[in-house]
Amino acid sequence: MLTLMSAGLLFAGGYQVNLHGQRNMGMGLIGTSLSLDGSSAFYNPGGLSFLKSDFSFSGGLSLMMGRVTYQPVDMEYQAHIKHKLNTPLYFYGAMKATKNLGVGIAVNTPFGNGFSWEDNWNGRFLIQDLKFKAITIQPTVSYKIKDLISIGAGLVYAYGNIEMNRALPIEGANGEGKLNIQGSTNNWGFNAGVMVHPFKSLSLGLSYRSLIRMKVNAGDVTMTVPESVSADYPATNKVSTALPLPANLDFGASYEFGEKLLIGFNLCYVFWGVHDSITFDFETNTDKLKDVTNPTLYKDRMIIRLGAQYKALSWLTVRAGGYYDPSPIPDDYFHPQTPNCDQIGLTCGVSVNPFKNLSVDAAFLYLMGSERESYYTPDNFGGKYRSAFYIPGIGLTYSF
Amino acid sequence: MKTRYLLFVLMLGLLAACEPKIDEFKADANGVNFSKFVAIGNSLTAGFADEALYLEGQEYSFPNIIANQLKSVGGGMFTQPLMPLGEGVGFKIDTSSPFGITCNTRRVLRLIENVSCGGTPLGTYSLRPVYSVENPNQLELIQQLTTPVAGPFNNMGVPGAGVKDLLTVGYGSQLGNPFFARFASNPLTTILADALAQNPTFFSLWIGNNDVLLSALAGTDQGVTALDTFSKYYPVIIRELTDLNIKGVVANIPDINSIAFFNTIPWNGLVLTQSQADSINMAMENIYHLPWTDYKAGPNPFIIEDPTDPKGFRQATNEDLILLSVPQDQLKCVGMGIINKFTFQIYPIPDSFILRAEEKDNIESAISAFNSVIRNSIANKNLAFVDMFSLMGSFKTGMFYDGVSFNLKFIEGGLLSLDGIHLTPRGNALVANHFLDAINGQYGCLIPKVSVTHYPGLKFP
Repeated sequence: MLTLMSAGLLFAGGYQVNLHGQRNMGMGLIGTSLSLDGSSAFYNPGGLSFLKSDFSFSGGLSLMMGRVTYQPVDMEYQAHIKHKLNTPLYFYGAMKATKNLGVGIAVNTPFGNGFSWEDNWNGRFLIQDLKFKAITIQPTVSYKIKDLISIGAGLVYAYGNIEMNRALPIEGANGEGKLNIQGSTNNWGFNAGVMVHPFKSLSLGLSYRSLIRMKVNAGDVTMTVPESVSADYPATNKVSTALPLPANLDFGASYEFGEKLLIGFNLCYVFWGVHDSITFDFETNTDKLKDVTNPTLYKDRMIIRLGAQYKALSWLTVRAGGYYDPSPIPDDYFHPQTPNCDQIGLTCGVSVNPFKNLSVDAAFLYLMGSERESYYTPDNFGGKYRSAFYIPGIGLTYSF
Repeated sequence: MKTRYLLFVLMLGLLAACEPKIDEFKADANGVNFSKFVAIGNSLTAGFADEALYLEGQEYSFPNIIANQLKSVGGGMFTQPLMPLGEGVGFKIDTSSPFGITCNTRRVLRLIENVSCGGTPLGTYSLRPVYSVENPNQLELIQQLTTPVAGPFNNMGVPGAGVKDLLTVGYGSQLGNPFFARFASNPLTTILADALAQNPTFFSLWIGNNDVLLSALAGTDQGVTALDTFSKYYPVIIRELTDLNIKGVVANIPDINSIAFFNTIPWNGLVLTQSQADSINMAMENIYHLPWTDYKAGPNPFIIEDPTDPKGFRQATNEDLILLSVPQDQLKCVGMGIINKFTFQIYPIPDSFILRAEEKDNIESAISAFNSVIRNSIANKNLAFVDMFSLMGSFKTGMFYDGVSFNLKFIEGGLLSLDGIHLTPRGNALVANHFLDAINGQYGCLIPKVSVTHYPGLKFP
């Protein structure tokens, strides 16, 4: 009876958010071949030792706002996702320990989201609302060999927690039954990269962020059901499940046209294929509450990103970019828990330097999801989906 | 000023960005006139559920759900002969009662304390479908049943009506069917006449179930409408409706195998321990001199009455259907279906609670023959057709809808109400969707369907 699904989220493919630097965000989220600031620790650890300043600190946050609209194909009925305001944030500290050795620390929220479908929507038995947050802390070192090549690596510690609610199709005097699952977990991964400057104006980067399997052991399950069926749906229970944070292999190239203009692109290959199913293993099973394995069958996807920045004035830099992020979710396994459409992102950004060492960075990302008609066939649920997101962000960079 | 305008335009842009648009569903009548929809049929059309006709059930009748959807393609008001707010009324013929009938209220799910066969409360509770009012005031219910309501009504569904009843003069009189008498325009009208008098522009007709079901519910094939009768009257109904030059939708008769009433109590529901089985085997051989000495631990076949057997009884097979109406306390505490615990006689389940294999076969052939009549009568009439026979078969297998698993199992299936025969609001919504599919398919219109889980299911205590 219960068919639970992945704790999946909305952005950039299934549930990956890549909002890790306002400067990168302004340029279509490129970064693999750039050494703009401490964000290199995330985008390409190899870039850390190419930083121009001795110390660089930056931090910022984005405000994610968005909506998803759903409509069954043969009905007038529509339902919407209301996004709680999500604020992914980042903090970087980087320093040059020696001329060639850079060290840094990165704190990111690389995955995560919270949303709720409107009350009493017709998919509430699949998902009503979901909160999923992950934070990573990544100490990083980077070493450059002359000004030609630099390598870097970081150890990633990830902590995540999840809470989801759905309705149970048993109605009592107090309305429908409810299922709540909460759990938290942590694990380790790594991030490594290499950056090459074959000649002064050209930069090439290659980075790999490893898979991190987030396993929840003994998450808390609470079920609220009418008394007469409480034996089938124990009020409290434990559940074990796992969600993979997929590996990413990124390649980037950027070229500086003189002092002012920089243009770059990234190809980001996301190994979504690792997410082929999700299992919910309940500690106590009953006739109505069995362990479930739901297919997800995600496909690996390549994100294509383009971006440019222009130093218009000594105190002003402007940026623009865009990207295409195809959904990893097949049409037959599209669950309203991860209502992710193929997306086109358009970005712009600006940096202002009120003082020599301080930069105020702002960016804006508009994510257009193309309409798709998709179903989660194991539950015979689906219809037309479309999404739109609107994400402004602001940050500070202090370097000296 | 300029910046203000700019901000305003920007805000508008943001709002637009936040509300992703999907091409809206465009309802289209495609020229069909849905302004006056009249539904003709039996209890299923009336919204009868939980063994009673009651207000909430009527509000979720499948024609009322359809009528609501027709509003987007020019549909008009849809009126129903609503019962007063309350527990509703159902009845059974009862010659021992001074009224000739015994009335009941609707059934509800309650947690009832289990009682041992000796009558001791056990302190444990079980979920049971019981009448919402135990021993109701008969006069009050009869009064509710017989209080006239002023029509005409778009919903002409009359619980209990069969094909011939639609054309029977006096069916709405004191001597006819009280469910029709309460809203018939006059005692000498017919159901069809009252329907036609409203000048419908569109109709639904789902009739014929009771021509087999009323007998089957009584555990017999006697009283099934003769094929001659069915073939004579059904085409008349179709002709009178289509002579108005209107469009409509027609449904056929579902298979009784798909109804929980016939499928909930298993033929081998006699569950024994090894020692019980041993004593029965010994008794069968030495006391009753019957050849049934293979009782074993676990499920075993009940013994059922069978007038065609020389002994008058036999062991049930998986071809026999045991009805939901079988007195379950007799099965549990007295030994019905095996040996009477007090008289030590073989105690077969009475024939009125059994649809024996041959009776079942006869009923199935009748359904099949009637359904052929229905198909032939509507051939070339440009009417939409809902194959409820096949659909109920697929509902029985079960399917997911809005992420919820539905089937025709009693109580847990979600589609059948507590009488095991009629539909829950969700069942009605599902049926309404199939009617709308048929209408859309036949006439090329686009009538929006409903979301099944926005309708109530059974309420659990």
